[in-house]
Amino acid sequence: MPRIGRRGAIGLAASAAALPRFAIAQADTRPVVTVAVQKISNSNTLDCLREQSNVGTRMAAMYTERLIDLNYQSKLEPVPGLATEWRRIDDRTVEFTLRPNVRMHNGDLFSAEDVAASFSPQRMFGDTRPSVQGKTLPLSGNIVTMTASKDLPREIPPVARRLWPAFDRVEIVNAQTVRFVNATPDVTIEGRASARGSDIVSGRAFSEAASWLDYARKPVGTGPYRIVEFKPDQSLTLEAHDAYWGGRPPIRQLRLVEVPEVPSRVNGLLAGEFQFACDIPPDQIADIEKNPAFEVQGSLVPNHRLTTFDKHHPQLADPRIRLAMAHAIDRQSIVESLWAGRTRIPAGLQWEFYGRMFVTGWTVPEFDQQKARALVKAAGYKGDAIPYRLLNNYYTNQVFNAQALVEMWRAVGLNVQIEMKENWTQVFERTPTRAVRDWSNSAVFNDPVSSIVSQHGPNGEQQQYGEWENAEMNRLSLELETSTDWDRRHAIFARLLQICEREDPAYTVLHQNAVFTAKRKDIRWKVAPSFAMDFRAQNWGA
Amino acid sequence: MTRFLALRFARALLSIVLVVTFAFVVLRLSGDPALTIMSPEAPPEAIAAFRKAWGLDQPIWLQYLHYFGAIVHGELGVSMRDGRSALTVVTERIPATLMITIPALMLKIALGIPAGITAALHRNTLRDRLLMAGAVAGFTVPSFVLGLLLVLVFAVRLGWLPSGGDERWSSAVLPVLTLGLGGAGILARFTRSAMLEVLGQPYIRTASAKGVPWRLVVRHHALPNAAIPTVTVVGFMIGSLIAGAVVVESVFSWPGVGRLLVVAVANRDLAVVQCILLLVSATMVMANLIVDLLYGVLDPRLRVSTAAAH
Repeated sequence: MPRIGRRGAIGLAASAAALPRFAIAQADTRPVVTVAVQKISNSNTLDCLREQSNVGTRMAAMYTERLIDLNYQSKLEPVPGLATEWRRIDDRTVEFTLRPNVRMHNGDLFSAEDVAASFSPQRMFGDTRPSVQGKTLPLSGNIVTMTASKDLPREIPPVARRLWPAFDRVEIVNAQTVRFVNATPDVTIEGRASARGSDIVSGRAFSEAASWLDYARKPVGTGPYRIVEFKPDQSLTLEAHDAYWGGRPPIRQLRLVEVPEVPSRVNGLLAGEFQFACDIPPDQIADIEKNPAFEVQGSLVPNHRLTTFDKHHPQLADPRIRLAMAHAIDRQSIVESLWAGRTRIPAGLQWEFYGRMFVTGWTVPEFDQQKARALVKAAGYKGDAIPYRLLNNYYTNQVFNAQALVEMWRAVGLNVQIEMKENWTQVFERTPTRAVRDWSNSAVFNDPVSSIVSQHGPNGEQQQYGEWENAEMNRLSLELETSTDWDRRHAIFARLLQICEREDPAYTVLHQNAVFTAKRKDIRWKVAPSFAMDFRAQNWGA
Repeated sequence: MTRFLALRFARALLSIVLVVTFAFVVLRLSGDPALTIMSPEAPPEAIAAFRKAWGLDQPIWLQYLHYFGAIVHGELGVSMRDGRSALTVVTERIPATLMITIPALMLKIALGIPAGITAALHRNTLRDRLLMAGAVAGFTVPSFVLGLLLVLVFAVRLGWLPSGGDERWSSAVLPVLTLGLGGAGILARFTRSAMLEVLGQPYIRTASAKGVPWRLVVRHHALPNAAIPTVTVVGFMIGSLIAGAVVVESVFSWPGVGRLLVVAVANRDLAVVQCILLLVSATMVMANLIVDLLYGVLDPRLRVSTAAAH
């Protein structure tokens, strides 16, 4: 047996102390993954309320989470998130039991205080009150916008109130239990708690941030990855949060890089610099998949493309013209020719994840040129020009789509003229030439108030910009928001679809939107039916 | 000389003021930054609040006066998207841009001038034609096509160089090549023309007739006289060092001033756009000023004529 002297023993002990650490460091063989995107954040912040865009949604769930999560590997149905369970106390109150032993990115244990801080006036609502339903969102006070101060930017409370119009307060029952109390009855409190904008951040980190901008550039949450560095317009670097309650994240470092040009994203993927390339247009899919090492995963997202009408334009005042335009569109041709058949025509402005609120049997107006011509004739249309304000591919395939629509409308006798515009100000400008424009609508949670009411109701953009209004729509919107009778709510929603898509068309739905992500084929990863990307352990294998 | 310099500086200042004024007016007439930054879905109250917070609700002439007053005090405004000083936002991108534009300028000079001289000295030979075909190809192929072609060959096919980004020193190679090859073509064409013009001058024939060796004729008589138009072009290239790589920076995802300018214009981040334009116009004007002064050094006749005129 070899003898070990005093010096030898000390040396061995020192080695023993050093070796395991080295070995642990070496053992972290998890990959570094780079994702090329067109844009990381439109607002140059990562705050869930300030950055509400589709691009901002992409990685948000990887660093901040909500009390109720969505099942990204299925149909976005609600699943436990930072709350393990929830129950109704009454029609205005929901009680959430918080997940125990959740470690936040700053090392704190997640608690009821963090929920209260996240839903506080200082972070979300400013000095607005929960009495804005059916009214214009109020704003007052000396709140500044996007400066290096601690004050809440002015645009945050209206966004928060759009999501939570009647939210009153968080009541802390105990360290692991909170209650959300609404000012009015609302059956969608659970849905709103699952929507982007209801993300939970560390109360301590929020209050200790030197400025609102400092907080918004590096929100401290509970997600599987923590933010290391955010370089606006350039990159976002995340690293594994190994204490994540949902299991050790499979990627050591997750990096988003902004690559504005499609060919550059594709080339970087093919050259092996990126493992994922997002925002791939449908016409690039075949070229990428020619290389057997790569694939493009498409995913339908809860967002529909629409053509929107200004009913005050003289040629569109008669609803029969708007309906004729809806019947004149061969949506299937658009889906097949511009989207390579990789999206679909939805059942109007609704999604299956509405569950019991989904109106079965409802469809978009069928493609029927004969019917469209009859409507045009009955309306006494004389061939005057109908302006169509168009942006240059703000939406995927937007210009091609518009050119196809104009020809389809021409085929039924409608003279629609494209007017190219540079930005949204010009599109919305209230002049006599405003008539037709493009839009897309999302459902941020599983109820129609998140879409048809939010976008076309009394506080919806279409009415706020004076393009369209309907007294019955407004009355029923308010009832839909506050009714607790599910059958009545379902009937109301069906009626709203009838008003907005047939009787007094506010818009017509063209197709569901889809996102396409190119990736290395050997990485086992599944795209979510959402703009969000899921890089948690259950969705990863290489 | 003082009067000469004063006039040049006054002209330079006027150019900068005109550029900034033009940019100020055009940016404000071509779109509402509030709507662009806040997105069309933002509530009108929030948009109104944004306009008020940034002074966009004031008449344009008042905004202009405030803006110029601030410039006089050395304040170039605050980025609407970033919340920081526009000057800080812009200056932190300048090193990245210079990292590709300065080597590209050196490449342009190193390739373009010798190519132009060689082509001129071998006029109408195969060498001349090949060099000029290369030069024409260099400046007629758009930089985004050339850039993508280089990426396809050196990054995708051969795997020798990164296709974009700025993580490694090698990431700069393809952007530099893209910028450099196009500019070298322009410089080669100008140098060749200038050389041909000089080589046809009587003093060249005289020097040759005197028995001066041809290489000395070229070095001492042709090159200095052909330098003036070439220096003018190089001056323009120096002037565009800061913002001359807009397309290339986008193709290679290079985080420089060019990409910042694209994003800032798209978002109507007025202070940043104006700050970039101010810097670019100042650089361009300064480069022209230096070129003007260099003329006098390169050609003593210009010094004499300027002195005589004054």
